[in-house]
Amino acid sequence: MALNVKPTRSELIALKKRIKLSERGYKLLKMKRDGLILEFFKVLAEAKDLKNELAEKYARAQEMIAIAETVEGTIGVKAAAMAASENPEIDLKSKNIMGVVVPKIESKSVKKSLNDRGYGVIGTSAAIDEAAEAFEDLVECIILSAELETTMKRLLDEIEGTKRRVNALEFKVIPEQVEARNFIKMRLDEMEREELTRLKRTKGKSAAKEAAETA
Amino acid sequence: MTEVSSGSAPYIYVSTRMRVRKSKLIPREEYLRMLNMGLPELTRLVEEMEYKREIDELAASFSGVDLIENAVSWNLAKEYQRIIALAPGEMKGFTRDYLHKWDIQNILTILRGKQLGLSEGKIKAVLVPAGALDAAALDRMIAESSVERVVETLPIKAIADILSEGLPAALESRSFGDIENELYKYYYATLIKAARGGMKGGLPFLKYVMFEIDIKNIKNLFRVRAQVSKEADTMALWIEGGAFKPEELERLTTVESLDEVVDSLKKKVKVAVLADALEELREKKPVYAIESTLTSAQLGQMDKMSKRNPFSISPLLVYLERKRYEVANLRALARGKESGLSAEILEKYLVM
Repeated sequence: MALNVKPTRSELIALKKRIKLSERGYKLLKMKRDGLILEFFKVLAEAKDLKNELAEKYARAQEMIAIAETVEGTIGVKAAAMAASENPEIDLKSKNIMGVVVPKIESKSVKKSLNDRGYGVIGTSAAIDEAAEAFEDLVECIILSAELETTMKRLLDEIEGTKRRVNALEFKVIPEQVEARNFIKMRLDEMEREELTRLKRTKGKSAAKEAAETA
Repeated sequence: MTEVSSGSAPYIYVSTRMRVRKSKLIPREEYLRMLNMGLPELTRLVEEMEYKREIDELAASFSGVDLIENAVSWNLAKEYQRIIALAPGEMKGFTRDYLHKWDIQNILTILRGKQLGLSEGKIKAVLVPAGALDAAALDRMIAESSVERVVETLPIKAIADILSEGLPAALESRSFGDIENELYKYYYATLIKAARGGMKGGLPFLKYVMFEIDIKNIKNLFRVRAQVSKEADTMALWIEGGAFKPEELERLTTVESLDEVVDSLKKKVKVAVLADALEELREKKPVYAIESTLTSAQLGQMDKMSKRNPFSISPLLVYLERKRYEVANLRALARGKESGLSAEILEKYLVM
């Protein structure tokens, strides 16, 4: 490969500094990648549990709404649903995991007390309470799941990016710099040898000239 | 509200008619048979019953389980209207007062629908005109332009007054829950007042209303106890006029021991059926099972009262309630089958 570097001593010194920096960067990025992977696996375990929980809560919510429709009829369930006065709110904040900004979602007014659900207690039955409670649990779980899934996605993106940078340093940047350094070293050595030969030849010539004059 | 009539002839006439109608309701064995049927079989069976006319009428607008549910609800509404029409004198007043709960339900549904900006069709689909306000009156209310106009034009003055008083707070909090509780309390207070008015048949009616209030309060007590967050004030949920004072019920919501709750309730209960039902609640049960136990006790007591007072308001009330549960059972069977609930689960929710 043709190298576009000047084979000078100053270039060699600069290149050596760059190699040192690259190697340090490589080590740090490798550590970051490993740290992110560890962090990702922690979140993954949590997300797996949450996904199972979400599936269970979804099944329960479906069952409870079926029971509510069985007991109160769709008419009763729809009338109670119309009573829902307050929509759940979410507060979006962020936190930092090894330089990766991930969301922190806090939910408000998801879980409600019997009084706050908007329907009258005297005119309804427990089936409506149980369906409402099951769906409140489900919504809470969905919000938590959204937080973890987004965290996982962001961590994966960052792991991917870091991995690309580590690979670039390991297989391209550092080998190229080492090659350039070796090339400069070789050229400098060659130039030194040429200089030495030239000096020796000059010295030989002048010695021969001196000997001829003396004779 | 109620007229004075004399003599027992109207009671004998109406009670006999109610007994005949009650004998035509679906028996327990039939429900057990229905539990093992598939949805198409069940639909066909319902079509062959007295719900045929409503099914034919609504077949153009609904299909499947929605058709069954709406048909049985319409049948209930029409049947209640027929009973109001055939009940004579003070019985008509009692019946009308008793069926006011359907008016409360319909009015609140219209108000909520209006507040949410739902279309007239959607609001109409969830109404059951089984009370004093018939379908035409409800249609006029739905056609009003705003929640305030619905309240202003409401034909039942007492309900309109309660709504006017609570409306600003309800609109601000966007919740009609408190008004709904107040309306139901007013409903029971009206029933007690009517029963204590000194008219014939008032005493068994009063006993029944007080019994229903107790059942309602006990059901709500167990609902409140089942809630995870108990910090909310539940004083407004208790209905006065029964055996329990609101303060007493409020205290029982925080009592840890179930035995203590049952003992406290039993001290005030004089009806044997309810005392026996309370005894069954000593072991921890889901709220639906508690409600089912109490509903069975309620219907059992109503049957007893009806036999003890054969020519009073009781046979009429028994029929109204039994009919309501027949409709609820058919709806439960159809909805349950559609949702794929097993026969064992469905059986728990049927009132037989």
